Amino acid sequence: MQREGSPFTGLGPVFIKELSDHLTSVRMMVLTLFVIVFGAFPVASSLQTLRTVVGADAYLYLRIFTIEPEQVPISFITALNFIIPLMAIGLGFDSVNSEFNRRTLSRVLSQPIYRDALLLGKFLGGLMTLAVGLLALWLIVFGAGLLLLGIPPRGVEVARAFGFLLVAIAYGGVWLSVSMLFSVVFRSTATSALCALGMWLFFFILWPMIANALVLGFAPREITTVDQYVGIQQLAIALQRLSPGTLFSEALLGLLNPETRTLGFMLPQQMRGAIPNAPLPLDQSLLLIWPQVTGLIAGMIVVFAAAYVVFQREEVRA
Amino acid sequence: MRRTITLLALLAAPILTAGQVFAADPPKPAVAAAAAASTAPAVPGLWLLTDYPSQTVRPGEATTIRFKLQNSGIAPETLAVSVDGVPAGWKIELMGNGQPIAAAMAPTNDSVALQLRVDVPKDAKPGSQNIVVHAKGATQSIDLPMTLTIGKEVPAKLAIKTQLPSLIGTSKSSFDYTLSVTNDSGKEMTVALAAQSPGNFQTTFTEGYGTNEISSLPIEAGASKDIKVKVRPPQEIKAGDYPVLVKVSAEGATAEQKVTLQISGQGALSLTSKDGRLSGEAQVGKTADYMLVVGNDGTAPIENVEMSGSVPADWKVEFNPKTLPSVAPNEKKEVKVSVTPSEKAIAGDYVASFRAGGRGDSKSADYRITVTTSTLWGMVGIGIIAIALLVLLGAVARFGRR
Repeated sequence: MQREGSPFTGLGPVFIKELSDHLTSVRMMVLTLFVIVFGAFPVASSLQTLRTVVGADAYLYLRIFTIEPEQVPISFITALNFIIPLMAIGLGFDSVNSEFNRRTLSRVLSQPIYRDALLLGKFLGGLMTLAVGLLALWLIVFGAGLLLLGIPPRGVEVARAFGFLLVAIAYGGVWLSVSMLFSVVFRSTATSALCALGMWLFFFILWPMIANALVLGFAPREITTVDQYVGIQQLAIALQRLSPGTLFSEALLGLLNPETRTLGFMLPQQMRGAIPNAPLPLDQSLLLIWPQVTGLIAGMIVVFAAAYVVFQREEVRA
Repeated sequence: MRRTITLLALLAAPILTAGQVFAADPPKPAVAAAAAASTAPAVPGLWLLTDYPSQTVRPGEATTIRFKLQNSGIAPETLAVSVDGVPAGWKIELMGNGQPIAAAMAPTNDSVALQLRVDVPKDAKPGSQNIVVHAKGATQSIDLPMTLTIGKEVPAKLAIKTQLPSLIGTSKSSFDYTLSVTNDSGKEMTVALAAQSPGNFQTTFTEGYGTNEISSLPIEAGASKDIKVKVRPPQEIKAGDYPVLVKVSAEGATAEQKVTLQISGQGALSLTSKDGRLSGEAQVGKTADYMLVVGNDGTAPIENVEMSGSVPADWKVEFNPKTLPSVAPNEKKEVKVSVTPSEKAIAGDYVASFRAGGRGDSKSADYRITVTTSTLWGMVGIGIIAIALLVLLGAVARFGRR
């Protein structure tokens, strides 16, 4: 049965309603608090460290994000790598099945709103909420930097930091679509939350170990040539990159550390003649991290497509 | 006449003495002979001796005449010394060790040095004056007649010469000439030093092995001193021979010596880029061309300038032309250098070193090459995202429901 009109009819109201629901919810307050505590603490510590550093640094503002302060052994981006998934899962794990459990889903869909628009509106609403939270955090970081460092950031620093914000939103989008997939698949909100958090824990704790074990399994007994060694290293990196967390941290490394020349494995002879610590131009850094960003965006879309397919085939009447 | 004979006898006595000693014992070794001469002289006696019994003195000046009291093999004795025949207005004093004396005592087989200080008045008339120095003791009495002639002043005379009048070097080296200046006049003179050199040559004088720069130096009568002239040519001077005239002058006397600097030209290569910027961009795996400029800031042409370069591993570097047959002074020649970064190069800044080496000089320049990667993979990434969106659209088309 062919539908009439655009599938996006009703997208706007769903998006607005979802956004207002999120922003006024107690959950959002808790998540915001969570983000501020987790994000502001490393930033404050790194600013303390940076203030004691003497010497010109062309990318001083970017160091706020990347340096590991002395007091807290965690940098801002490590903290974000940890809390963005948590935030995204918290926003998305019950987006569809809670409506179903409250029996409001069929009521909504009886309106002139397609399922497509509902799911996309919910996703975009969650993503927007996430973006608002991250933007606030980003502005806090810059404001604190201005206050405590007393120098304005350069244009290229702002550009790189803005790129960081976009990558962070894309990373949150991946986890948001994952948690929405589970909220579509499972009727119980507890199950979907558990599955999403389990996946998060799997990629954070278990996957690096499994990847190592796989590499050891694939590796020949004795490594005799350089090519073999390079092959094994590349396999290890490729396996690690299946985790969105790895893609996120690599992308941030390329963006916020302009000195980063490559994210992959590199032979010493490729470094011969290279000027150490020479920063890459912004466009080259963007080219460097583009595969990672592509992976994040494409992964987000593919998981969302999967959630869409499942949702379309679901019985919504409770 | 009789005085002259006496003088001759006095002068001849020591010579004869020595001659007799050596004639008597020819086979004796020299040391023994010398010992015999000092302990047992053949002619015992007491003499007053001077080198030049007839001397020239100048009006208005004090002249010191050296003489000595020689005792040969007799017991020491106090001898009162005096001068006779001092012309009116003249002042002649007997001096010993710088002090006026009235008596002298010579030990056995030894001598005492004495001086006669002769002050000649300014208005002394030309002519000869005879004076006699007396030495009178209890048993002995000896005379030394001398003739003092009022003479005209000997004109001041200087001589200068060098062993090495011509030195070879480059425009960057300094030329050191050692010159010996001789004062051939009868008195000490302060000699002014000067040098005439072409253009912006720098000349400095130092004394012998000293380090202090001097402009004049005193030289005793009859003595000679070594001075050193250091000549520094200007760096941009052309090759050729350059004469430098070293002049010394004192009290109207001058002497000069010509020394020559043979400056051989030297090339000095310079290597830079056309606009002076030593950095450029190159894409991975693609050839980038830069224009280098090889120049010669020196004074002589440099031949056979060969270009070479060192680049990171697996990179390619080519020069066009590879060799320059000759680069003349102040000439600039362009060389195109083509650098191809390796296919596996990683984006970032690299150092390539280009070198121009010719006969006599070489120069290298570090070139900073910013390697950029191709945007092809960026397009591929966008393609992947587009495919993901197509999958989503396909799902919408396939599963979309009313």
